[in-house]
Amino acid sequence: MTAAAPPAPQPRRRLSVLGKALRNVGLVLGAVIVVAMIAAALGAPWIAPYDPDAQDVLLVLGTPDSVHWFGTDAFGRDVLSRVLWGARVSLYVGFVATAAGVVIGTVIGVISGYYGGIVDRLVVAATDVLLSFPQLIMGLLLVAVLGASLTNLIIAIAVTAVPAFIRMARGSTLAMRERDFVDACRSLGFSDFRIMFVHVLPNILDELVVMASLWLASAIRTESTLAFIGLSVPPPTATWGGIVREGFDNLLDGPWLALFPSLAILAVMIGLNMIGDGLRDASDPRAPQ
Amino acid sequence: MKRHIFATAAILLASFATARAETVLNIGMAAADIGQIDPHRATTTQDKPVVSWIFNGLVRFKPGSASLETLEPDLATSWDKSADGKTWIFHLRSGVKFHGDWGEMTAEDVVYSLKRAADGKTSAFAPDYAVVESIEAVDPVTVKIVLKKPIPALLGLVANYHGGNIVSKKAAEALGADFRTKPVGTGPFQIVEYKSNESLTLISNPNYFRGKPKIDKIVYRFIPADASRDLAFSSGELDIVYGRQDQRWVERFSKEPGTVVEVVKPSELATLYLNEGMKPLDDKRVRQAIAYAIDRPQIAGFKGAATAVPAVSVVPTGYLGTDEKAKLFPNDIAKAKALLTEAGYPNGVAIKVIQTSLPTMLNSMQIVQSQLKKAGIDLQFEVVDHQSFHSQIRKDLSGAVYYSAARFPVADVYLRQFFHSDSIVGKPTAVTNFSHCAVADAEIDAAAIEGDAAKQKELWKTAQAKIIEDVCAVPLFEQLQVWARKTTVDYGYTFEGAIHLGPVITEATTKK
Repeated sequence: MTAAAPPAPQPRRRLSVLGKALRNVGLVLGAVIVVAMIAAALGAPWIAPYDPDAQDVLLVLGTPDSVHWFGTDAFGRDVLSRVLWGARVSLYVGFVATAAGVVIGTVIGVISGYYGGIVDRLVVAATDVLLSFPQLIMGLLLVAVLGASLTNLIIAIAVTAVPAFIRMARGSTLAMRERDFVDACRSLGFSDFRIMFVHVLPNILDELVVMASLWLASAIRTESTLAFIGLSVPPPTATWGGIVREGFDNLLDGPWLALFPSLAILAVMIGLNMIGDGLRDASDPRAPQ
Repeated sequence: MKRHIFATAAILLASFATARAETVLNIGMAAADIGQIDPHRATTTQDKPVVSWIFNGLVRFKPGSASLETLEPDLATSWDKSADGKTWIFHLRSGVKFHGDWGEMTAEDVVYSLKRAADGKTSAFAPDYAVVESIEAVDPVTVKIVLKKPIPALLGLVANYHGGNIVSKKAAEALGADFRTKPVGTGPFQIVEYKSNESLTLISNPNYFRGKPKIDKIVYRFIPADASRDLAFSSGELDIVYGRQDQRWVERFSKEPGTVVEVVKPSELATLYLNEGMKPLDDKRVRQAIAYAIDRPQIAGFKGAATAVPAVSVVPTGYLGTDEKAKLFPNDIAKAKALLTEAGYPNGVAIKVIQTSLPTMLNSMQIVQSQLKKAGIDLQFEVVDHQSFHSQIRKDLSGAVYYSAARFPVADVYLRQFFHSDSIVGKPTAVTNFSHCAVADAEIDAAAIEGDAAKQKELWKTAQAKIIEDVCAVPLFEQLQVWARKTTVDYGYTFEGAIHLGPVITEATTKK
């Protein structure tokens, strides 16, 4: 290997990952589900048939029919509209929190793994402590302390994701650090920053993306769970977990209230897990072609 | 799993071995925990029924009633009043024992209890007793109460309600802060165990002066989730359940076999108190806009005709002194918007509201929130658990406070606690004046000592009109109490009213 073209092997491998990915039926199906959900969330203001907060005393707990496909809730609000609008909050919280967790965790993890030494040991110790708390307990604790609001919810869920990504990025960086192309970069006099984020990072990106897709599912689930126990965005804003909770209070009078948002959560979970599994298979060099 | 089965078998065997099964009454309550069962501090719905099982007053509301007209002898067997109405002599029942080893109830305990109820440091009801000049024990079975002025309902102050509950002097002094969860009284039941956030267990008082109760044990369970509580009742885990104050609930459970649903008085008046100490509510026009934006019949409609009616005044209907035809603001969104514009808020206002997560209250408030939104008034909820809610609204932290309450059925009590400037939250004499209302102090004070019943009513009426006009609060609807029981339970009386907001379990209550 010459010192002239260190990052050369990357593009070819990435292309083949994409090729494999497209041939993976599960992954494509998962992507379709998730993209459809995102589209529904983004399009809620146009496709939701009613104002999600508009109450109607004459339509309290109406059964699903051709006018209100998902029925109406205890305030006579259209459940379909609330599920669509709820998707915005639930998906937004999931995406932003995961993105924040990935970015912060990866940066810390790469730096920690690349430099090693005392900083690394401190980061590892802190990560171990944080990872010893179950994700939900951690989120619960933070939201309870910070107070229930959209921003705090995102912060809480992001904090639970950070240590996992630190550990992942650090481990991968440790392996990359010993590779010849990193030595080559060093001998060319590249700055540490350039080596870490221009040369090492792209090589560990596959694994991070796989993990991010799985964490996204987990983040959305955490949001729903917190909303279910009342620790989410305050009323009247619809969130999936919140609608399930309100439905739960009326389980005997209107089971559809809890059913439809639960199905929405289920669909996104399945979609994201299919994507995660598919990406993992596609990026695994040992997997059968 | 195996261990679990063995354990269950062992418990079953043990319970057979103890022969005659005890009669246990399981009662489900819509709360996460007890608040206070010190009778002189208990103010929340989940506390009051418990207090009524543990304590007696000098007189009592007839079980199953919430009316002042039914007051009957309890710890006092008879009483005399002087011609000027200021001196009252109560003759006590002798030989009444307190729970456990706390000895016999005497005039000393009565004097101690009433003084304790009159002291702001030990009682939430101290202002009710401001009119009392002196309380003294004439002899062990005679108590003399002297008033500064005659008042409309002295017997109310010594009834088994709020400050009138008689506690054991020895126990209260010995237990100190622990009295909060281990209160000692003379009633048919006594507390044996308290599990925080789970249950409160009471056993019968074998020495109860009306006879040993037929129920051996009451397990009072805290089940805040409506669906869980309903399921526990349907499955037979509970004998009595706090019902949901809503039409569908009443209809559904009325149809369940073996179930009796009882909708009882008093009604709790749900009111939106507007904090005049906070911007933008310090502007009367903003408060008026809120009053115009509220649609009272619609709220009552959501709640259902079986359990709710629109409010008539800032005092609940049926109280001595309520203006049943008070001039409330009509629903007029256009006027509300015009007032906001006039006040300098053409784009609407936002108001921070501390709100409980208790479903019944949160649901009512969501209806209010939706109505106000139509006028451009945005109620921004900060949802907290019920106990935090109670503590935070008393720290003057909320712009608007949704509060639902029943009080002793005399207008004076409601007006004084919610609208007299002495009761403003944050003051040392605070009760529940969340709105900082101070427009009717003169009338409230004058009415309290007015001897002429007609003039007194007129003063109360003026006070209500002033409070409504200043929009210290917007009365919303009145909610009757809903309880359900299995047909196996017989209270021993007709359950029509519950001054304690729940069924009184007496010595005569049975379970088949």
